[in-house]
Amino acid sequence: MGKTKFSTLLGATAFVAIGGSAFAGEFDGVLIQAKLIGGQQYEALYSRIAEWEAETGAKVEIISKKNHFELDKEFKSDLAAGTLGWCVGSNHSSFASQYPNLYTDLMPYLPAGFIDEYVPSNVEASKIGDALVMLPRAQFDVSVLYYLKSAYADADNQAAYKAETGRDLAPPDTWDEYKAQAIFFTDAPNFYGTQYAGKDEAIVGRYYEMVIAEGGQLFNDDWSPAFNSDAGKSALAWFVDLYQAGAVPPGTTSYLWDDLGQGFASGTIALNLDWPGWAGFFNGEDTSKAAGDVGVIVQPQGSAGIRTGWSGHHGFSVTEKCDNKKAAASLVAWLTNEDSQILESSGGSLPTRTAVWEHVSEAAKSDPFRAEAIAAFKEGASHSFPAPQTPYWIEATNLIYPELQAAILGDKTIDDALADAAEAVDEMMQENGVY
Amino acid sequence: MTRFRLPTWFVLLLPAIIVLVAVVLIPLVLSLYSSFTPYRLTRPESLYKWIGTFNYEKAVKSAHFWAAFGRTVLLLTIALNLEMLMGLGLALLVNRVTYGQRALRTLMMFPMMFSPVLVGFQFKFIFNDNVGLVNNALQSLGLTDVAIPWLVDGKLAFMSILAAEMWSSTSVFAILILAGLFAVPRDPIEAAKVDGCTPWQSFRHITLPYIMPFIYIALAIRSLDVARAYDIVQIMTNGGPARRTELLWTMIGRTGYVDAKMGYANAMGYISIFLAIFFTIYFFRKLNAARTELGMAG
Repeated sequence: MGKTKFSTLLGATAFVAIGGSAFAGEFDGVLIQAKLIGGQQYEALYSRIAEWEAETGAKVEIISKKNHFELDKEFKSDLAAGTLGWCVGSNHSSFASQYPNLYTDLMPYLPAGFIDEYVPSNVEASKIGDALVMLPRAQFDVSVLYYLKSAYADADNQAAYKAETGRDLAPPDTWDEYKAQAIFFTDAPNFYGTQYAGKDEAIVGRYYEMVIAEGGQLFNDDWSPAFNSDAGKSALAWFVDLYQAGAVPPGTTSYLWDDLGQGFASGTIALNLDWPGWAGFFNGEDTSKAAGDVGVIVQPQGSAGIRTGWSGHHGFSVTEKCDNKKAAASLVAWLTNEDSQILESSGGSLPTRTAVWEHVSEAAKSDPFRAEAIAAFKEGASHSFPAPQTPYWIEATNLIYPELQAAILGDKTIDDALADAAEAVDEMMQENGVY
Repeated sequence: MTRFRLPTWFVLLLPAIIVLVAVVLIPLVLSLYSSFTPYRLTRPESLYKWIGTFNYEKAVKSAHFWAAFGRTVLLLTIALNLEMLMGLGLALLVNRVTYGQRALRTLMMFPMMFSPVLVGFQFKFIFNDNVGLVNNALQSLGLTDVAIPWLVDGKLAFMSILAAEMWSSTSVFAILILAGLFAVPRDPIEAAKVDGCTPWQSFRHITLPYIMPFIYIALAIRSLDVARAYDIVQIMTNGGPARRTELLWTMIGRTGYVDAKMGYANAMGYISIFLAIFFTIYFFRKLNAARTELGMAG
């Protein structure tokens, strides 16, 4: 190498070094360790982390990437072992209340007015008490009604339904109508009127929203059980009646979300209350036999005139033990800012920022199915409410769901099942010193 | 003044003692201690609150716990007996094979190579009421026109779990009994044949006593396995629906890791250990009796 070339190189290096320090990021040299939810649909957003690193000078090390159930176990183990040196964690509104001391209040670390750009109900569901423990990402979930259009367009079905009930056959707006239509459509074992999640938190969540739609509550203000009520009984009767009438697959009590999604996509289920993430799958030529035949409308209402709307959203939190909460909060804000939410919602998920909702509606205009789905979810979201914000929600669901199953399968009467569930939840709450 | 020196035997054993204390004793003592506390994984401070025998009393008074206990004993009894009979039959058949026996023995071990989680998923699919192999086969053959709820009906779900357990572990019996059959001396059998014994008499009075120690060893190993049954049941039914297939360890696992109530889960675990201890002592006594009968006791 010639002397001139060497001098030029040396000079350039020195310039870059000086320039580098002159434009140093706000968090130069800071290392943020993160435990994030993993999965194809969540990955696109993580590509933006590199941009945040370049802008701030900090470095992000993802030390764990698992689904939420696995992360939940890992967080509990970390709490037990005191290994809380990491800073950013994926969170979910249905899980957050279980770790009241794990995450810090983000409000002191955010610019004034920053939080006003999020949908207020999502912000409320991201709090434990007054503390904002997570910022919501564009992964908002509320269930609306998917249905097979062909079942409603069929002239024989229309005539038969009119003759049987005296009403026109149209996608249902009430849960009573839904039940009647599901029983009407059933031609087991080849075709079922509907299906529902039958175990774990999933069935309790569905039951919870049905209790609300019937005008009741799952818990009283002091967190004592309130579901052993007329509204609770009528909500459970909906599940029991459908099962006893054979309008749901007999294995529905062991179904979770994947089973339900695959079931509707097989084209053998007429009505399906389901989450936004399935919309593309249900109408995809390669993934669904129902493609081109799927209608989407807002979820029905119960006898109290209230629509179901159990909802949840993913978010990011910063641990209380984090060494650099300001940097971690900056990362969390970046991952949920407008650009991030536009990127993430382009994959089909629902946003949690008001401006991004407008963007998503606008972008869907050229695709009639997508536009129909977005309109339904937008209206569905306006009726949404989060899971009960108690640290004992998951534990309560584990006590309630076997009793719901017992009533559905006929092992117990509705009255006995709810009385037993309420007694177990009451005992658990008292044991935990809730009241 | 002479320096205190540890005895040589103790120094030599010290590494092993340290490892045993760290790996076995400390976790045991800690879990036993935590069973007397309201320890929740999400509230580490609860580990320091002593509540005496509250967790044990709660478990003993819980109808759900005893139902799961009874179901575990039932599964253990039926699974062990069926696996033993099928393993014995399989071993006797393979023992008669003169060509390709090695290949058969390798084939027999295949199910043991599968992870229980995989076996659970496999059988969950086979017994799925909607898209499962069994229902599709039965419907295609015209044997039924309904979707049989294999994993929902209490008895059917129990049988489905039993089928999965047997598929994965019958070969444990077959392999151990086959090893026993190889060790049976030929002379008494030939003498019995000369004396006019029937094949059944030869088997009952000569072969069987020789292989009984092997059967009891297999029973002891499998009783510990089934008493701790978790993976397959967790995947296939998660103890449900409506607790119809709840076993001890699906219940304890959910209490400890999902509900985060580790103190209560450990108390249930310690009560459950008695089940494993009982069966182990029972089978070892039987094993010693069988060995004594053969003049092998010592």
